[in-house]
Amino acid sequence: MIPSTHPSSVASRGIAAGSLSSTAPAVSRPPAIGWSWLAVGVVVTVAIATTGCGGAPAASFRANLVESTKQRLTPQQESQVATVMLALFGTPDEPVALPETGLDQAKLTLAAGPVRSDIVGRKNGLYREHCAHCHGITGDGLGPTAAFLNPYPRDYRPGVFKFKSTERADKPTRDDLVRLLHNGVPGTSMPSFALLSETQIDALVEYVKYLSIRGETELALARAFFELDDDAKGELPQTREFLVDEMLTPVADKWRAADEARIPVPEMPADIDMAASIAKGKELFYGDKANCVKCHGVTGLGDGQANDYDDWNKNIVEITKEIDGTAERAREAKTSGMTEEQRAEHRANIAWVNRFHGVLDGDALQPRTIPPRNLRQGIYRGGRRPLDLYYRIHAGINGAPMPAAKGTVPPEDIWHIVNYVRSLPYGFDGELGADRSTTSVQRDRM
Amino acid sequence: MNRRLVTSLALVLFTGVGSVRADDWGTISGRFVFGGAKPTASDIKADKDVEVCGKHKLLNEELVVGADGGVANVVVFVRDKDIKIHPDLAATKNTPVTLDNKDCRFEPHVAVIQTGQPLVLKNSDTIGHNSNVATIKNSPSNSLIPAGGDSKVTFNAEEAIPAQVTCNIHPWMKAWLVVRPNPYAAVSKPDGSFEIKGLPAGEVELQLWHEKAGYIGEIKVGGKSEKTAKGRKKVTVKAGENAMGDITLDASLFKK
Repeated sequence: MIPSTHPSSVASRGIAAGSLSSTAPAVSRPPAIGWSWLAVGVVVTVAIATTGCGGAPAASFRANLVESTKQRLTPQQESQVATVMLALFGTPDEPVALPETGLDQAKLTLAAGPVRSDIVGRKNGLYREHCAHCHGITGDGLGPTAAFLNPYPRDYRPGVFKFKSTERADKPTRDDLVRLLHNGVPGTSMPSFALLSETQIDALVEYVKYLSIRGETELALARAFFELDDDAKGELPQTREFLVDEMLTPVADKWRAADEARIPVPEMPADIDMAASIAKGKELFYGDKANCVKCHGVTGLGDGQANDYDDWNKNIVEITKEIDGTAERAREAKTSGMTEEQRAEHRANIAWVNRFHGVLDGDALQPRTIPPRNLRQGIYRGGRRPLDLYYRIHAGINGAPMPAAKGTVPPEDIWHIVNYVRSLPYGFDGELGADRSTTSVQRDRM
Repeated sequence: MNRRLVTSLALVLFTGVGSVRADDWGTISGRFVFGGAKPTASDIKADKDVEVCGKHKLLNEELVVGADGGVANVVVFVRDKDIKIHPDLAATKNTPVTLDNKDCRFEPHVAVIQTGQPLVLKNSDTIGHNSNVATIKNSPSNSLIPAGGDSKVTFNAEEAIPAQVTCNIHPWMKAWLVVRPNPYAAVSKPDGSFEIKGLPAGEVELQLWHEKAGYIGEIKVGGKSEKTAKGRKKVTVKAGENAMGDITLDASLFKK
């Protein structure tokens, strides 16, 4: 089922194997139209991959089978995506950083591959040592421990990150990811990696960006088939213009633009009357404009609107609905009156449903709802600095239901909410405890 | 002045004028009809902001079939990338499209917008909402929309699949946004009818979509079944009216 990304299968397809003329990295060659540039990339990758670690099985990236099955790609199309991905990004042991990705090959090399030390005793294979068991070799959040964690580890492939200093839909900056590796994500299984050296953290950040750019490009490729004209015969154009300029570069450009997408934060006035600010923040929290109360609850315990999903889980929930609908349709279909064409479609639907069940078993985790944060605990996943809370309120949380207050709540009011939220773990200010009866009345009205 | 230049200029002008002649443009119309027993839309019980939302009769709008069997909210748009645009329609891009949070639902349920055209996410209710716009090619957004307030968004890229708009505070609220690079898109009315005006004469490829059916893979026109893979259907637009008549969508299509 899984389209093999193992180098030998590509080589055996014999794509212009003879065109390999030098061992120089294919990526620095001037772009040629058509298959040739791609083929050179594949062949060089193959050459490197097969001369590497003696005997150890080469690691391979998992194909995004959930997306390719959702898009109903044929095995040929899946294999086309796998071939293109191999040429554009290499393998987990030998990652490729095309110049368009803006990634640093040396950093990737340090983070990639099996855990090992080089000749000067420098540790290599950092990603597999520290990250892969949860986030997976592919960065799909499907490492062996993933199913046992709550929340699930992040799947980098959609390119969505929650805790950052940039506007909602933008990528995190390098510093955001470094900070996250330093601090870990409190309240989750993500630990702090503060004991690693700066160079090592830097290499890991680069590798996460690589996996994310890789995953988002793969998604773009899988979705691109749908938009093909009929005369394309279900094949993506094998040109550099399409594969690199149209598919990869827009993804990489978003990472490059992250620094310009930083949220402007006016300083909180140094002489702020904190008691007054907290009172104002409380008003805003319960007020109709910021509306925090609707999800975080009258008590701030995160017990308001609690049956929503984040984007990653929602994807699986919606796919499951589609599978169930198609299955129901197939069960109710009367095969007797069918034309040959309808019968073929009917069979294809059944095969698709069956295949998807298998794909979800192996490539997805049981969907979970996302509870709004309990603000009484004093645990802040994205960091506990007032500034971190400001970012969360201003931009909302990408991938999560939390909306952006930007444009609706002025900056000074965001600071008031920050101050109120930061006061919540320390006092019950009448909303909880003494006024229980009032609270339950209010809750019923929500 | 160079005579040849004048001649070619005149030719350009003449062709320019020629292209807006009324007989070069056509209108496509039709009506989507439900093939099967008319389903009844189920009620939605508001469990948030009950004192406001509880006052309104809320229905599950995933599949709306009218009394006469018309299917509402079917999206029809022209797929062709470089289609000539009728001069009268060129300015439609500047008129904002409004998606209103009204009576604890979105109005309209399916909105069509062009790239570059402003979208106003409005809130006519007395309670706060948020509008989570899940675009894929465009940056997704999720803004708070306070009571009586609004928020503006524009889209630079067309979306291959209509984008879902939801309110995270009131999870039953759902709408769809169809982002197209030209004005040639329509959403069927409650009686199932649709109309796309000002199309250049010649062959165009339509694409048909419905939130429950996805891209509609099969239609029945004049009693004849026709496969429309990925919802695509080529039609020839003649100058003037092009009535497609009743287009039947089998009930089984909406089970996806």
